[in-house]
Amino acid sequence: MSGASRSNVGGWLRGTTIRKGATPSTTRSATPQVQSTSSTVFGGGVKDASGRTSEFFSMDDQCPVCKSDRYLNPKLRLLVSSCYHKMCESCIDRLFTLGPAPCPICNKILRKLAFIPQTFEDLVVEKEVAVRRKIAKEFNKRREDFPDLRSYNDYLEEVEDITFNLINDIDIPQTEARIAAYRKENASLIERNLQREEAYAQALKEHEEAEKRERQLRADELRRAEEEERDAREGERRALIDTLAQSDADAGRLVARSKAEAQKRAAARTSAAAHAVQASSALLLRSRAAQGAAVPDVPHVAIQDDWYAYEDMFTLRPSYFDPASDAVRRDREGIMRAGGYRVEEAWERALRSAVAGLDLPPLVGLAAGQGDGDVVMASV
Amino acid sequence: MALPAPPDVPSIPPPTRTPLFEGSTQFRNWRFSQQQLHATRVSLNRSAVTAIRNTFEADLPGSSSDIQFLESKEELLLVKLYVTKISQLCGHFRFPEEVEATGISYLKRFYLKNTVMDWHPKNVMLTALFLATKTTNNPISLEAYTSNIPRTSASDVLDLEFLVAQSLAFEFAIWHAHRALWGLWLDVQDLPNAPNRDDLQKYYDTAVQHVRTSRLTDAELIYPPSQIALACLSLADSDLAATWARAKGAESVLQIIPSIKDMILQDGQVPSVEVVREIDRRLKVCKNPEKVVGSKAYLAKKEKEEREAESKRAKKAEGVRKAMEDGDPFGDELNGAATAIAALDDDD
Amino acid sequence: MDAVEKANAARQRRWTKDQKVGEGTYAVVYRGREAATGRRVAIKKLKVGQFKDGLDMSAIREVKYLRELRHPNVIELLDVFSSKTNLNLVLEFLDSELEAIIKDRTLVFLPADIKSWIAMTFRGLEYCHRNFVLHRDLKPNNLLIASDGQLKLADFGLARDFADPGYKMTCQVITRWYRPPELLFGSRYYSTAVDIWSVGCIFAELMLRTPYLPGESDMDQLKTIFRALGTPAEEDWPVRPPRTASDDTLADVHALQGHTKLPDYVPVGQFPKTPLRDLFTAASADTLNLLGKCLVYEPRKRISAKEALNHPYFSALPYPSHPSKLPKCAAQLASAKVLEEVNGNVDPVGQGPGVKAAPPKRAKRKLSDDDISRNIARKLDFS
Repeated sequence: MSGASRSNVGGWLRGTTIRKGATPSTTRSATPQVQSTSSTVFGGGVKDASGRTSEFFSMDDQCPVCKSDRYLNPKLRLLVSSCYHKMCESCIDRLFTLGPAPCPICNKILRKLAFIPQTFEDLVVEKEVAVRRKIAKEFNKRREDFPDLRSYNDYLEEVEDITFNLINDIDIPQTEARIAAYRKENASLIERNLQREEAYAQALKEHEEAEKRERQLRADELRRAEEEERDAREGERRALIDTLAQSDADAGRLVARSKAEAQKRAAARTSAAAHAVQASSALLLRSRAAQGAAVPDVPHVAIQDDWYAYEDMFTLRPSYFDPASDAVRRDREGIMRAGGYRVEEAWERALRSAVAGLDLPPLVGLAAGQGDGDVVMASV
Repeated sequence: MALPAPPDVPSIPPPTRTPLFEGSTQFRNWRFSQQQLHATRVSLNRSAVTAIRNTFEADLPGSSSDIQFLESKEELLLVKLYVTKISQLCGHFRFPEEVEATGISYLKRFYLKNTVMDWHPKNVMLTALFLATKTTNNPISLEAYTSNIPRTSASDVLDLEFLVAQSLAFEFAIWHAHRALWGLWLDVQDLPNAPNRDDLQKYYDTAVQHVRTSRLTDAELIYPPSQIALACLSLADSDLAATWARAKGAESVLQIIPSIKDMILQDGQVPSVEVVREIDRRLKVCKNPEKVVGSKAYLAKKEKEEREAESKRAKKAEGVRKAMEDGDPFGDELNGAATAIAALDDDD
Repeated sequence: MDAVEKANAARQRRWTKDQKVGEGTYAVVYRGREAATGRRVAIKKLKVGQFKDGLDMSAIREVKYLRELRHPNVIELLDVFSSKTNLNLVLEFLDSELEAIIKDRTLVFLPADIKSWIAMTFRGLEYCHRNFVLHRDLKPNNLLIASDGQLKLADFGLARDFADPGYKMTCQVITRWYRPPELLFGSRYYSTAVDIWSVGCIFAELMLRTPYLPGESDMDQLKTIFRALGTPAEEDWPVRPPRTASDDTLADVHALQGHTKLPDYVPVGQFPKTPLRDLFTAASADTLNLLGKCLVYEPRKRISAKEALNHPYFSALPYPSHPSKLPKCAAQLASAKVLEEVNGNVDPVGQGPGVKAAPPKRAKRKLSDDDISRNIARKLDFS
């Protein structure tokens, strides 16, 4: 499923001509525009998530056939044949316009339209991607189609094996035979999986559309609300001016009254907005409630642990005779205080350690270890 | 002790509340009775003697018969001396009191798990102090530390660091008596008939000296710091201490502090230098050769350890090789075999 | 030594390692089990012995504090054991962190959910402060979520004691986006308020679903803060001499100069104070009140954890969601697949110790497995 609606993909099938110098819309704006000198438009290439292709481009590009490079010919564009050899558009034009001809590098018979722009820097990768693309169309089974992990792994290995052979031109006829055999055996499964993938992509698209629509809606609503507010305020101001002009009443009082009314209206508006929010979260709440009605929310409890910090055993006084903390409290520049340091906290800590464990009787006797059994006593 | 209800938002009063001190590792793992301390030290000493004797015998039969091994009370004296050395070092570096107290505690606790015949306190002391600077957030660079201590290299300090931390069971936080004393002294000012400033100052100075002395004793291993602090104050002015204890509703503690006071007064003496020198001399002879780098026994032990590690590695490699041969690097998962207990090697 | 080693070996046998789930500069994290009960744990193996100053400070800090702290909202250290050169911390296993949940756009937060999370954060933090421990690295990354929904504070690699009188502390703590202005101004004497500021930022982030104050550098962080909350005037952050200090040690009148006296103070530009309501349009008055109190400039005036827990925001309706009903991100819900791809970035117990030098990049995403497969499927369109 490609973005079939995109412009030029059908173009090359039809061999549509295009004005010279026009930028092919299949290239991304960020990539430097490679202007085509040929009169034929070439499509193809691997698309990314946005449905556009980017073409590989390097300053060192040089046509292996005519040896022209980008320095001499800034509009140089290298395309790739079906036997994965590169050459520039002018050579292609020159060699293949009159019909199929052998490739100047490997002598395989090629047609002009069999050339595609290069997407990846490494032609091996280009080939691999094309092979995998082809294979994936037929070998599209998933983990769920297998009874156990072992058989799934075996299948994957088979696929990899076939792919490897195709890419490296090993045992081509046997490999093709394997593919044909597989195709025959699994025809129905392949079909079903294809349909499933299409459905999935469709669902994805719909989801995206829905989201976009929602966002649009919200933006519209927001705009509308703002406009309303602006209009309302305009209206209020005009009304105020009118009343001021007409009546003899105290201007100040009139203005004050109008302001109060304006505030009331603004409050009503925000509460309406808040209501909307509440309504949607009410919906959410209901769905949540449906989910887990078994566990109710309980009121908040401030401190829930059961640690006792001896708070009742002492009172922290605001000040003490305490030479130890004099330097801190003097703090001429207020630096310590500006940072938030409080000598009271040091006092509190000291006071607490003075009362902690005050009534603990010492252990006696040789009773076994009292801890969590953390440390084993040396008794080898 | 009354349990107050917190204000504002009602909280559900739990059945029992654990005091914070009783959640600390100090309370749970480093609190002993007199008898336990004694028994631990004696048994530690005995097993060390046996082990070392065997090492001597293995090397040269009959060589251990005329060696006078240390007794546990002699070990204790040696440790005590080095406690004083920590105080000296801290004075030299001007470390805060927290560092000094922590370092001393680490040293004492270390020798509840180890014997001086394996590890001489002179290095352990340096390491314990260095570790204390880190755990109390007063770090000093190793460079600065060793360059200020004569005849000390970085490895002297670092080699033992992990061992010390292990022996402490990585329990680094300690509640100290000097902070408790400070708090006590502040709280005393809250009493209805608080003494005047001069007296207060006098009591504090005396009590602080006693706290320092107490570090030479086993007090911190038996009593909580609040009781030790109270005992020190009591040595300065027993009436004040008693009044305060009564005001806190903790009269029972007044039964406990006499034994603490005795301990401080009797056991707080710095050991005499001659006695310690004698012990040190004997230690040179009876110390564990396995721990002396370069000695025969040390090398033999290292070899044995290396062999064990090697066999463990081989077994592991064997296991992996077997799995690969079965045709599946993921052999375990697919065959449903139970995952093996991973040997926690260094190279994991 | 042998006795100690034996003890260690005994403890080591209690736990089995299953699978590596993450690796950082300071630690390798494994998923494991308690051998006897099958309970899931995370075993964090800290690499020691590679630093020139010996045991790493962050490792020490983590162990020291986690050993002493025990609270339902603080990660629990179950055991510590060591082999020759490794320190292993056995921590409870926590599925995910708050950051992943915030970033998962498929989840919707109810106000009750936010209230619940913040309550748990405050409770854990109040417990730490009660024990005189500053966390100093609060951020959604370090708030881990258990399978029952409980939130736990983790990663105490930067924690330290406070309330030691007059000790200087470093100001290079807390990840930049969550760092309070007094630290950015270089204050060396601070207190629990620094953690509260972080919680305020996390609170805002829960509502906005994006970091509230993302600065690009320390200087920029200050500007970002001031732009959002207005430049503090002298009245906002003064330092009057305490009226009740004992007489003979009183500071002079000069102390009125306030925050401009902090070590690294620089004037950053005048920004007006915009009300919080303008940005947090859906929040209730109580919410904004509490948020505002967490983001007060003067540290002494900033609300404390205990006061925060008693704030009307929590007692007002709706009740905080029960932890088991809180939203979970996809990674938590997915059951462990056998041949799960281990994403090296996943660190269920929080990152290794060490001071964070750079803030998390804005675009950083922690993808769940489904996300990953979907993205890849889109990128290579084999159609």
